[in-house]
Amino acid sequence: MTRTRILLSAGGAALALAATACGGGGDTGGPVELTFWHGYTEADGDVLEGIVDDFNESQDDVTITTEVKTWASIDDSLLTALSAGEGPDIVAMPAERLPVYADKGAFAELDDFYADESSNTADLVEGAASMVEVEGTKYGVPTGFVPLAVYYNTALFEAAGVTEFPQTWDEWVATAERLTVDEDGDGTPEQYGAVLPDHATVANGLWPSLFYGNGGNIVEDGKAVIDSPENAATLEYWRTAIVDGQISPTGVDGIGADELFSAGKAAMTVGGPWMASIAEENGIGYEIAAIPAGPEAQAASAIGVSMGITVDAGDEAQAAAEEFFAHFLNDENAAAWSLGSGWPPLRTDVPTEAVSANPVVVSLTEMSDLGRPLLPGVVNSVDVLAAVDELTQRAMAGEDVDALLAEAQAEIQAALDE
Amino acid sequence: MQHPPARRYRPPAPLGGRRRAQDGSMRRSAKAFGFLAPALIVLGLFVIWPMFSALRLSFTDASGFGEPEWVGLENYAEVFTDPDLLKAVTNTALYTVLFTPTAVLAALGLALLLNSPHLPFRGFFRTALFVPFVVSFAVAAFAWSYLIDPHVGLLNYWLRGMGIQLGNVLQDPQLAMPAVAFVAVWKLFGFYFVIFLAGLQDIPASLYEAARMDGAGPLSRLRHVTLPLLSNTMAFVLVFAMIAALQAFDQIYVMTGGGPYGSTQTLVMEIYESGFRKLELGFASALSYVLLIATLLLSLVQFAFFGRKEKDLA
Repeated sequence: MTRTRILLSAGGAALALAATACGGGGDTGGPVELTFWHGYTEADGDVLEGIVDDFNESQDDVTITTEVKTWASIDDSLLTALSAGEGPDIVAMPAERLPVYADKGAFAELDDFYADESSNTADLVEGAASMVEVEGTKYGVPTGFVPLAVYYNTALFEAAGVTEFPQTWDEWVATAERLTVDEDGDGTPEQYGAVLPDHATVANGLWPSLFYGNGGNIVEDGKAVIDSPENAATLEYWRTAIVDGQISPTGVDGIGADELFSAGKAAMTVGGPWMASIAEENGIGYEIAAIPAGPEAQAASAIGVSMGITVDAGDEAQAAAEEFFAHFLNDENAAAWSLGSGWPPLRTDVPTEAVSANPVVVSLTEMSDLGRPLLPGVVNSVDVLAAVDELTQRAMAGEDVDALLAEAQAEIQAALDE
Repeated sequence: MQHPPARRYRPPAPLGGRRRAQDGSMRRSAKAFGFLAPALIVLGLFVIWPMFSALRLSFTDASGFGEPEWVGLENYAEVFTDPDLLKAVTNTALYTVLFTPTAVLAALGLALLLNSPHLPFRGFFRTALFVPFVVSFAVAAFAWSYLIDPHVGLLNYWLRGMGIQLGNVLQDPQLAMPAVAFVAVWKLFGFYFVIFLAGLQDIPASLYEAARMDGAGPLSRLRHVTLPLLSNTMAFVLVFAMIAALQAFDQIYVMTGGGPYGSTQTLVMEIYESGFRKLELGFASALSYVLLIATLLLSLVQFAFFGRKEKDLA
């Protein structure tokens, strides 16, 4: 008995994976009922609800019910929900997570939808559209695409007498040094000029942004290109600034960075549009600026969110969902969604005046040319991003950059080859 | 010293004839099955069936969507050639070495201490030590993450007051593993403690009395009476603790997510990542089965070892 029980408890690990497929979908008669999972919980959530309600009222054939979850729990529960046939028809998720689901057949192909003029997809921001594409096929529509930007504490800038936001890396580091304060001289600053996390950075985008700035990259045309002299120089440059110059604390992740900025302990952070509301909630006066230019380029990794139609939706449901996508991207909603969410418009033909009421959107739209999609079309982004995290973390901890880059190169190539 | 006469249980002779006895035993087994049925159904539905299901998955390229294709032993071949896996195995071994002896020794030590009838507030201490086991692992992990947080953590604050710098434990590749193992010790040792306590109370007082009369001191009573008679309990606790260690997941998922740079990536974290992040359910199931078989073998070795010891004793 005891042994059997041990066997069974040992089987616990196996149990976790017990979910098996038994597809679902297909509706008959009456309006088509769609469920839509998304993770927009702030002001953006209200605007999205408004767009959905508006769509439901505009016609009698389709009714969409939204279900708000955290982004993390969407990722955690989608697989089990879909394999049990209980999944949503439409789901929004971080853009870099879409390819793996698409590759495994979780999303409907949307090439025909894109080919149709009434889909309102013709003028989508190119980078945003590239994040829903896997091997030449479109599997979703973008709901958000915004370059990472520097959010800075205006009060701390004023106190340090900094009037101009830096335009280049050297100026950026010099400014951060001026803003770093170690009052008691114990070697640990009480206030940092910047907070540059070395792993799990916001939308995994900080280090890609810095690599781009010096002309480097991570993956190009399906090949790992991280092991380059440009990236080695980038890592050395920022290690000197962060570790030796102490412009930023070390060992921080993206969430820690948000916390330090909202506590007024770091004058600059690299983040997404939500930093605006976080700063306001914490009574911090802020401005938004583009990530300063590196020696080779000014560029920023973009935070992307995409939505797709799942395998749980039948043909009828897919047609209904496509109708909603076209509605979501129409002239009026493209502007309304941008204004309400604080993210730049997803269509390049939305006039600036249409979003001028929201200063955050205006600043972010100005820099939207700088935004580059993160690992578009890469199916195994999990392993690629883990390799980048390990690289930057160990580089900041002082390990040999060349060896680390070679190791990361091998790991990333292996992930791409899988 | 005279042992009390052994009492042997002798079933009462059946009152009726043979037929009635047979009927009765059949009715009894039917009744027994009736009582067992709810548990058996739950076990079948939620344990046995999923296990077979996972076994089937492990020979396919299942992703959770669409028809999985049969790939034979490919997943198993991949398990043994995956470079990430060696790291996960090493990490799991390290975790097991950190967790198992610490949890078992802590439980045993406290059980010995609290078994003493002279200790005041025994009931209170026993309850207090068991409380962490009742707390959910995720809750415990969140609580400890906050306690040791370098910026807002209470523990860090107190230790700083004493001049000890704990630093950013969960971001330190050397300290993250001991930290997550510690949380598991804190959470689980209460259970082992209760089992040891039950084992200790099963040891007849007469044996201690005899040992004392033979001039055995406290240490040699522990060595020659307590520990040998506790070897059954010890085997049980060790096997359970080892299984818990091999399945380490919850607090790691919450506290470090496998980081910093993979230093707390255990086998079950790897299974989770393959299955739910990379959507490779077939590979994840194969990995689960490899872990299952490894766990089973290790458990059998431990039982064989302790079984032999018990025989030696007899």
